[in-house]
Amino acid sequence: MKKLFAILALLFVVSALPILAQDMLDYPSDLSECEVDLTGQTINLFHFGDLSGPYAFITQPIVAALTDVVSYWNGRGGVCGAELAQVYEDTGGNREAAQSAYDRFTSNYGDALDLLILYSSDDGELLREQLAEDEIVSIISAGSIESLYGEDGQTPGWLFANNPLYINQFGSFCQFVAASPEVFPDPVIGFVTWPGAFGMAGTEPAAAAFCASLGVEVLAEPQIFLPTDTDILTQVQNAIDAGANIIYTNSLATGPALIAGTLVDLGMEEEIKLAGVNWVMDTSVGILGQRVRKPNGLPAVDGMFGSMPFLWWTETSSPAVQFVTQQFAANERGPAEQNIAYLLSWGLADSVIETYIRTVNTVGSLDAVTGADLKATVESMELSILGGLFQQKFDEGMRDGTQNRIAVMKYANNTMSGPATGPDDALLIPDGSGGQLFVPIVVPLTDFMPVPQLRGQ
Amino acid sequence: MSEFINRNKKQLTWALYALGAVLLLLFLGDQLAGKKAARIAQTLISGLLVGGVYGLVALGIVVINKASGVFNFAHGWMMVVGGMIFWSFFTVSEISAPGAGLLATATMVMVMTTASVRGLVERRNLLIAAGGAVLLTALMTIGGSDWRWLHALTGTFAGAILTGLAVERFAIRPLIGQPLFTAVLMTLAVAEVLHGVTQIAWGTVELNLPIFFDPATGSRFRPIRLESLRDTLDGLAIIRVELVIAFVLALVAFVGFILFFRYTSVGLAMRATSEDQQLAQSMGLRVRVILAITWAVAAFLASIAGVLQGGAVGLSLNISFVALRVFPAVLLGGLESVAGALVGGIIIGIVEQFGTLLNSSEQVGTNLAPYVVLMLVLVIRPDGLFGEKRIERI
Repeated sequence: MKKLFAILALLFVVSALPILAQDMLDYPSDLSECEVDLTGQTINLFHFGDLSGPYAFITQPIVAALTDVVSYWNGRGGVCGAELAQVYEDTGGNREAAQSAYDRFTSNYGDALDLLILYSSDDGELLREQLAEDEIVSIISAGSIESLYGEDGQTPGWLFANNPLYINQFGSFCQFVAASPEVFPDPVIGFVTWPGAFGMAGTEPAAAAFCASLGVEVLAEPQIFLPTDTDILTQVQNAIDAGANIIYTNSLATGPALIAGTLVDLGMEEEIKLAGVNWVMDTSVGILGQRVRKPNGLPAVDGMFGSMPFLWWTETSSPAVQFVTQQFAANERGPAEQNIAYLLSWGLADSVIETYIRTVNTVGSLDAVTGADLKATVESMELSILGGLFQQKFDEGMRDGTQNRIAVMKYANNTMSGPATGPDDALLIPDGSGGQLFVPIVVPLTDFMPVPQLRGQ
Repeated sequence: MSEFINRNKKQLTWALYALGAVLLLLFLGDQLAGKKAARIAQTLISGLLVGGVYGLVALGIVVINKASGVFNFAHGWMMVVGGMIFWSFFTVSEISAPGAGLLATATMVMVMTTASVRGLVERRNLLIAAGGAVLLTALMTIGGSDWRWLHALTGTFAGAILTGLAVERFAIRPLIGQPLFTAVLMTLAVAEVLHGVTQIAWGTVELNLPIFFDPATGSRFRPIRLESLRDTLDGLAIIRVELVIAFVLALVAFVGFILFFRYTSVGLAMRATSEDQQLAQSMGLRVRVILAITWAVAAFLASIAGVLQGGAVGLSLNISFVALRVFPAVLLGGLESVAGALVGGIIIGIVEQFGTLLNSSEQVGTNLAPYVVLMLVLVIRPDGLFGEKRIERI
């Protein structure tokens, strides 16, 4: 497998050769000027979450990216002179472990802990009230309604998400379905999804009502499966029997791959479309989804739809993607880390750094910075993260991203100029153990567009 | 009235159970009435096959319990370790000879010192250890990737034996003579140690284990489609080949262990040891060796289950949780019963699938139904379906 990763790394390097051939690129963000010298001080990036459970495929690259961020900045004299460091723990996706980590962080670091990076909606829901009470700003990639806006969906808290709410992502998928009757005639969506705050996001009645208003029916009963399930035929067939011709999932890594494989097993890969939240559009799904191939020879997840509220690795005209790609190669990262989370974590760090610079400029010193100061800064900023990876704007009580686009997972053709139509024109690389692998790519189908606001309805 | 109740207490209790069972069947019958025959057949097939995997996992737990009385909470992590070792040999085209040699040597040293560390001092034992290590190393490294099945099976065998013996030697053996509960707690600690070791050695990212791979299609084995029954069942039912393989392997393992416990001296010694370790020792049985063999066998069973589960859905740390889902099956079948492990696994597998068929949105299949069935069975048979009834004389 290491050989496979090495081969894939080589492939990505080859595809990104124009970028890598350039001199080291400048940092793509236009960060604020430092008005205060922070030499001799440390800015900690605090984070904890599931690094060894079902979310590991997504979360491990977070650590890799933040390690590279720290290395990048410290190699250039730090942020306004301050050394950048990361403090993190693995909670294994366990709620009690998350609470314990939070208690340990707050007791060990006290006032120095003003900003915390979280990974999961469950942790966000668990800590929402505590973050507010302790006045700690928290940034998460994407969250549930309850974690960001409370049970009523109308009470913004101290947690900010860079991506749109999962329910809003689902709403924008419904818009896409409604606008594409040739692909989705008489659309009926059934959820086949993981349990928990992340898995169940989007199954709220408000989402179904919104989709119904667009002519897209959503089945009331979600079908739930566990990351440990060996066989999910029953769940998939339940959804199909109930009338679903589109299966939507909030799962990642093996989750979408298992559903896609089951559809192929049933011979329904053409009749039933598969779609999901932004995490399904990940390299991990593209690799794991190759266990089962369709009758046309392409992997089972070929043609799966999903949200893509940020740029992806193949959009190499973007300075943000160019920069992160170059850093990725310079740090000799492997393809398992070349996923969404690595890209987004560079963006997340960019946001945190800008927040600190602006706040220190305002309050005069790093020691004087409080969580409330950071929150005020975050709420007032309008940023093009890393010069365009995604947009951040949290004014007027917003706590999540507002732009999304829909993409489809495909596999590269042998000239790397677009998607393959079958195994004959697909780019196949040796997997290191006698087999061959397709190379997953994500193809955007729409431009960025505002997501519908479905919370609190 | 009270006299009547007291006199017919047993019969009345059974009558109540029967009434409950009839009501439950009526309820389920009503719920299933609207389902196509194909769905019911499919659910039964899926439950049976998944239950076979559960049974194999349960067997490993039962083997330990049968021999030592210890409920092994580390079994799930033994599955992960076994699966990961298999993956390491199966997916790498060139095996590191020094690495394989180290694994083989460590395994042979542990084997030869099972009874006593002094065992290795004897020239004959040293020669056996060296010969065994050379043979294992050769089997793990011979040829190229065409021989990967041999490499992987040998490596997994050696790794499982090493894991099982190491756990017994360093964690369980020092607790001989202590209350059983201490050993049970120790297995929790072992689970955490194996978790940490796995995380350090293989990371936490899911790994693809392409063992159920059909070179003709470049895909996982195509399922068997019961097309000929489509009209009869009013729909299509399929059978996943990898689950059939797992099920058959589970059956083979069960038959083997039933025969092993019944007809071999080691098996009989294991049973005797489970009854009373001190008494067994006083009768001349080498309790240490027997316990060590038991742990090695359980680790090997766990490895097989880990490989099968990893091949079916991918190898990750999550497969350790399969063992947690199997606990109801172990209790249902009876803690000491080999046959009970299989029957319990199959019942739980089928119950899970039917629970999911009837209500997946509330996770009735995984979170409720197996435990309700377990509760009902334990009320009627506190030692499980096939467990040994123990009479404690005070």
